Amino acid sequence: MFDYDLIVNLLVAMIRNATPIALAAVGAVICERSGIVNIAMEGIMIVGAFVAAIVAGATGNPWIGLLAAIFFGGFFSLLHAFATVSLHLDHVVSGAVLNVLALGITAYLMILIVGHPGTTDSVPISLGAYRWAIPGLSRIPILGRMFFDQTPIVYFSFVLVAFFTWFLNRTKLGLHVRAAGEHPLALETIGVSVYKMRYFGVFVSGLVGGMAGAYLSIEGNVSFTEGMTGGRGFIAMAAMISGGWHPIGAFLAALFFGFADALQVRLQVFDTTNIPEELFIILPYVLTVVAVAGLVRRSRPPKAVGTDFMIERTDD
Amino acid sequence: MKKILSVSVVLLLAAAVVFAGGQGEKPAAKGKAETRIAAMATDVGGLGDKSFNDGAYAGLVMGKDLGFEARVIESNQQTDYIPNLTGLAEDGSDVVFAVGFLMEEAVKESAKMNPDTYFGGIDIGGDPDIPNFQGILYREEQSGFLAGIVAGLMTSKYADASPKLNPDPVVGVVLGMLVPPVERYEVGFIQGVKYVDPKVRVLSVTVGDFADQARGREAAVAMIEQGADIIFPAAGLTGLGSIQAARENGVLAIGVDVDQNNVAPDTVLTSAIKKIPESVYVVLESIVNGNFEGGTKVYGLAEDAAGLAPFHGFEGMVPQAVKDAVEKAKAGILSGDIKIATSRSEIKDLIDK
Repeated sequence: MFDYDLIVNLLVAMIRNATPIALAAVGAVICERSGIVNIAMEGIMIVGAFVAAIVAGATGNPWIGLLAAIFFGGFFSLLHAFATVSLHLDHVVSGAVLNVLALGITAYLMILIVGHPGTTDSVPISLGAYRWAIPGLSRIPILGRMFFDQTPIVYFSFVLVAFFTWFLNRTKLGLHVRAAGEHPLALETIGVSVYKMRYFGVFVSGLVGGMAGAYLSIEGNVSFTEGMTGGRGFIAMAAMISGGWHPIGAFLAALFFGFADALQVRLQVFDTTNIPEELFIILPYVLTVVAVAGLVRRSRPPKAVGTDFMIERTDD
Repeated sequence: MKKILSVSVVLLLAAAVVFAGGQGEKPAAKGKAETRIAAMATDVGGLGDKSFNDGAYAGLVMGKDLGFEARVIESNQQTDYIPNLTGLAEDGSDVVFAVGFLMEEAVKESAKMNPDTYFGGIDIGGDPDIPNFQGILYREEQSGFLAGIVAGLMTSKYADASPKLNPDPVVGVVLGMLVPPVERYEVGFIQGVKYVDPKVRVLSVTVGDFADQARGREAAVAMIEQGADIIFPAAGLTGLGSIQAARENGVLAIGVDVDQNNVAPDTVLTSAIKKIPESVYVVLESIVNGNFEGGTKVYGLAEDAAGLAPFHGFEGMVPQAVKDAVEKAKAGILSGDIKIATSRSEIKDLIDK
């Protein structure tokens, strides 16, 4: 049972499962580091998944579908930015409403554009067809198949994790974004607009969330199904928290969930006892709760996350 | 100025919540004697599942020549069931169908609250105390059995018939959730496989969701990695992911509920069907004829409501011996010689997983 092939397949499946969660989690990290609580990743992902499938179907080109998903994800997230930053509304409320709006608007547009609810037709080519094995590196045992023989968005996720780590810690803009979430007053005092930094943070999470959604519909699968995010946006939140609001931490936490999910499926395949399948199905979620509960004490959120920042003008 | 803006955004967000709460229906016109209204509320899978909910809706549409106008509301979550069903009844529908085992409590509640409206429940058992409700059950185990016969023979004895089959005698079932209709499909399938070849292993994975294609795909992949060359997804929309996974990994699949060959014509060998549209039509007919019966009606092979879909592109590939085995099994089921169990507990010794 514990043969080499099984282990490798399990690890490769882990990457597949983790990618949309990792992307959404990294996006959420940027948003929350700038001070805006974002529970709307689920909604942003479903918008991205929908747009990717529709545009890829209409143009026949999945890359254009991906670009459209990224764009519309960002566009959709601007609603959250506007509500929380400019109108000073409660972050959680705004996020919750956006999730509901996303489900409804994708269902509505589905009828309008596709003509029937449920599932779109398969896209002509999915991004999954663009599997690229990096010459040389893909031959490394185990790691080669996991990291160097993958499909486009999976590669992007690796790159983005590294990029955002560098961005947050090594660039001036990244510093300003972090400051907006830690000590916005100090930031505003030196003349950098906290509003702008927070808009930026939310927008980035929208772009990345759109890409995460696109993975679900046109890379991991070949069509859009209503509700296909299945709670992954919320798992991404858990990954962000267990990962200490750090891109690499969030990525590792997403891998952990992806691993648990890939494991429980294979455990079901091999299970010869009468254990109810529900126990297997909830395994990844239970592990996530345990991880969050265990790690949350060491995990420190940005000091000013969730707090409103308002500039009062005397001449208003 | 800011205040006006805040208020308008709040109103917009509030409108979004209302507007996002599922599809609206056309304004209700009280059902007159000439145009009756046949309505349904879907389960959370919604229309477009290419099987279950679509089948029920197709039945309503078929009712047009009986003078019925079809109406449908999609449920977004389980708490929508009762509001949707009673809403449809109060809006003047002559008959309201609930689709799916998960809606059992809701439809019985709604039927009791609206004794003047007929109610039908797909995959739901009837209740002698509720005369205006007819429960419609199916013998999925019969369709599953026939599918198992095809799978059991093709995966092992006739694996040479197609490059998509491998010599490993392994097949796989993907379940959406372990609700009775799905369980009947699975249990029937296992018995069909073992009936023709006890050596064949049947793997089984439950996903826990009827609308998660990604998980359906993973479940199928995990079984394909273990040598399964025929995947039978009894999982609604989740199963579409399983079929795609079968397609991409060069193996075959068997569809469920309706003829799913068009989902992937080079992959879907046949489908285990239950004729939901026709059974819905029978209920509509009974309303028109004035002989609607409460209680439970069970549809199976004997009522021509169960069976296998055509092989389509695989017609030439499937050996005559397999087709003969299917016909023989059908005769056996109809005559009563072949008895098929309907729950996992009854076939404990057959399950190897």
